[in-house]
Amino acid sequence: MRLKFGTLAIAAVASLASAATVIAAGDEAYREHYPQARIDPARGVNGDIGFSDTLPYWRNEEEVERNAKWVGDPNEQWKLNWKFMDLDRIDLHPGHLAVDEGEAMVAKLTKRNPAFFSCLADGAAKLDGLAAGYPKHDATLGRIVTVESRIEHCAKTVLNEDIRQGTPPNNKIAVYFKSLSAGTPIRVDIGDGKVLEAYRRGEKLFYVKTGQLNFACASCHVPGSIMGHKLRGETPTTPFADAAHYPTYRTPVGALESIQERFARCLGQMRTAQIKPGDPAFMDLEVFMTVLSNGYPVSVPSAR
Amino acid sequence: MTVKTASAVVAIILGPVLAMPAGAQAPADYSVYPCLSYTLACGKIATRKPQTKTLAGVLNGNAEKGKQLAQARDRGNCLACHVMKGGSQPGTRGPDLSHYGNAGRTDSETYTAVHDMRTRNPETLMPPFGANEILSDPDIRDIVAFLQASK
Ligand code: HEC
Ligand code: HEC
Repeated sequence: MRLKFGTLAIAAVASLASAATVIAAGDEAYREHYPQARIDPARGVNGDIGFSDTLPYWRNEEEVERNAKWVGDPNEQWKLNWKFMDLDRIDLHPGHLAVDEGEAMVAKLTKRNPAFFSCLADGAAKLDGLAAGYPKHDATLGRIVTVESRIEHCAKTVLNEDIRQGTPPNNKIAVYFKSLSAGTPIRVDIGDGKVLEAYRRGEKLFYVKTGQLNFACASCHVPGSIMGHKLRGETPTTPFADAAHYPTYRTPVGALESIQERFARCLGQMRTAQIKPGDPAFMDLEVFMTVLSNGYPVSVPSAR
Repeated sequence: MTVKTASAVVAIILGPVLAMPAGAQAPADYSVYPCLSYTLACGKIATRKPQTKTLAGVLNGNAEKGKQLAQARDRGNCLACHVMKGGSQPGTRGPDLSHYGNAGRTDSETYTAVHDMRTRNPETLMPPFGANEILSDPDIRDIVAFLQASK
């Protein structure tokens, strides 16, 4: 299987705003913020140009291949944004097995009640290509839905079964669902006002400092921060196009991980109180990060 | 097509950088610090304001203990951002502190900076070790002693 990439245009250069660190508004508590980078959500993944400027190295598989010499190089590897791992199609990693397991689960649940499938597909006949449009605002439910939250919702409402977000069965179905959009450019609809509002809330969360270490996501994932610098054994990378390959199979621990579970791991590093997958704050962060993947193809199954 | 070395790299991906190591006490309760939740109380907690704390009396720190604290991932973990004497896999974002003792800095300015670097640079990335109770007063004294002994 090969990834299909559209030609990504290089648009105008964004710059870092030297916004005030401290924003104390009205009766809101004093909170500190990492200076906000100017990201135009309309540019999708191209917003990385003028941001980390690493997009040219990982924008398509030819470029990743050309720069594969950096794999394993502690100073350079971060510039590949882990995309070299999406290309590892020969080793049949358990992410592929999860696709099959997820498919079997959907078939079984659909057999119990076909309404499960129509709920999952939001009325469409097939799941193909649908995942590329998530997260989206579901007008009937009146809230933002991710692939994972739709799975949880449909299992609960149609079958009265708990397939909660952040659990292995949910991740397996999500990997299967998303694999049916592999290669399709992500297209989160920021023309939908509710989605754009969620993006703005997620963006705010990305810059607010939290936890005992007083870090924001941005402290590690924007230019001028720790991004691109060594943080003991790791080097934080750009947030652009991360959402494309989740849920992913984590080789070191041998388990699937959704993007919100990955957020939770970063919260752990920040020594911040945990929130659960499906929490509205995580939904907003996922919208924010997936908009930064707009135009980049869904790359599931993947390994990290 | 495949990038041949990818699998090898998978094997060396490391776990959480700053999280509690395995074998440490039960997961700490961080809910006294601000969090990202819209609903939990911690979502409404204020960031602790920058605190200027001055060194009381003589330093009286233990450089060897300071070195351990600076390396321990669940304590100072200064090594996450700084090159220092001893320790492995230093970070690269902060200035190299391996010869800090030659810089002619006083104990008290160093103490104040480690207690809360925001008093020097409001936009610093460095955690407020004293203000957020990551390190105690004796811990910071030990670390300052270690820094001053780094020549
Ligand atoms: C103390 C540093 C630090 C902070 C703060 C931090 N991260 Fe991370 N993050 C990392 C490191 C290191 C990695 C692994 C390298 C990489 O992929 O960037 C990572 C990886 C990720 C990934 C996976 C990227 C991939 O391609 O697989 C996501 C998604 C992510 N972070 C989101 C967040 C969010 C959202 C926040 C805030 C809630 C956050 N991070 C805060 C250090 C941090
Ligand atoms: C998350 C990154 C980070 C961590 C962790 C960190 N620092 Fe720093 N430190 C910095 C940065 C960045 C600077 C540069 C000044 C600034 O930006 O505020 C700095 C500056 C300093 C300075 C001033 C150096 C000079 O030449 O004036 C000292 C001293 C220092 N750090 C000590 C420590 C100690 C001791 C610890 C651990 C207890 C520590 N740092 C942990 C990021 C960090």
